[in-house]
Amino acid sequence: MATGARERLDARDRVEARRRGLSEPPLQLRDDSEDEMIVSFPEFVFKEFIAMVAMTVFLLVVSIWLQAPLLGKANPAMTPNPSKAPWYFLGLQELLARFPPLMAGVAFPTFVIVLMILVPYLDRNPSRRPSERKLAIFLFALYAVITVGLVLVGTFFRGHEFNFDWGWVLGNES
Amino acid sequence: MKMIGAAIDEIYSVLAQMVSSLFRHGLPLTDKIAARTALTNFVLHIHPVRVRRSWIRMSYTLCLGGLSFFLFIVLTVTGLYLMFYYVPATSHAYQDMRDLQFVVTFGGVIRNMHRWAAHAMVITVWLHMARVFLTGAYKKPREFNWAIGTFLLLITLLLSFSGYLLPWDQLSIWAVTVGTNMAKYAPIAGPYTRYLMLGGRAVGDATLLRFYVAHVVGLPLIGFLLMVVHFWRVRKDGFSGGL
Ligand code: HEM
Repeated sequence: MATGARERLDARDRVEARRRGLSEPPLQLRDDSEDEMIVSFPEFVFKEFIAMVAMTVFLLVVSIWLQAPLLGKANPAMTPNPSKAPWYFLGLQELLARFPPLMAGVAFPTFVIVLMILVPYLDRNPSRRPSERKLAIFLFALYAVITVGLVLVGTFFRGHEFNFDWGWVLGNES
Repeated sequence: MKMIGAAIDEIYSVLAQMVSSLFRHGLPLTDKIAARTALTNFVLHIHPVRVRRSWIRMSYTLCLGGLSFFLFIVLTVTGLYLMFYYVPATSHAYQDMRDLQFVVTFGGVIRNMHRWAAHAMVITVWLHMARVFLTGAYKKPREFNWAIGTFLLLITLLLSFSGYLLPWDQLSIWAVTVGTNMAKYAPIAGPYTRYLMLGGRAVGDATLLRFYVAHVVGLPLIGFLLMVVHFWRVRKDGFSGGL
């Protein structure tokens, strides 16, 4: 399709989206002759099926090779040091080690959950094109780096008494 | 000879009837039949009948929502297997886990699958959320589905967390002690919340039972209902598709 025609189609598409008050389609409308309507069965369903089989095989292989941890029987009288929460809460535990508990343990998670629910209402930009949502993408990247970073620090660099321990990086395991 | 031939024909037609009664449609030989297939088959009716090729490009969803759901199913099936052998009492739980690991047929593999699938689900759900954010798929008219998704993320974390206690080993009680200690810091409600979660002041028998009930009934049920609505909305809001 000629570029001129494509741009016209694209503009029409955006106007239509605005009129209906919907967010805009992400990228230029593709030439419909290249992007035909297809019946979702069996092609689409087959793709999903492949994804499921791949996941099952992956899980089976991992499960045969990698033993889930089972330590000694629970003993309320013996606290292991360090005591850590499951990895997906280590970011929170990391915050608890740094900030007053009311802030890190309650205010902060509540804030994040409420903020997350409000995201679609706070983001007033109707565009879905990455090039037009630089700020949103930057903020998300920031959030992702902080979250993943805190989890990694909590998992690998916190030792005895939840103090910093660079031992296994520097090679002087104590 | 003739009798045998007739009998075989009869058996064949009965078998054919059995097979064809399983499906409410024939083989999808033409587009029309394929479309009818999608409408009349339960597994397929959750899909749109017709889609644009670009919508179903794997590079858009990376299959992450679908995989999250599939992991949920894997967890349900493997979890049921574990339930046959596991008694949620502090006097039994740990020994049951060891038996699962070393005695029960396939117990070790099933337990490992349950554990690793749970970790994997936390990751796929989070990545699915990242995908939805980065493609701006939460914008009008999908704001509410994003909110449902937020709760699904929380449920996923809570499911994983409640399961963590069940093996009743040193890892589990102390991880849960640390985790529930966080609840303590909420003003006024904090200590009560913790008491409610633990069924006492420390992690014990009551805690194990509470976490077990939440893990095998409460949270999966809530999660399942949320998923049903989530999928319904994906269909009704229209898939954002095509990046
Ligand atoms: C148990 C967890 C979840 C399951 C099983 C699930 C499943 C799905 C599935 C199968 C889709 C169809 C498209 C795709 O595969 O990407 C979808 C779409 C969607 N999900 Fe989820 N989801 C979950 C959690 C979440 C979370 C945490 C969020 C965000 C906070 C979310 C927000 C959305 C939105 C807004 C859509 C529509 C996307 C579009 O039209 O492009 N979901 N979900």
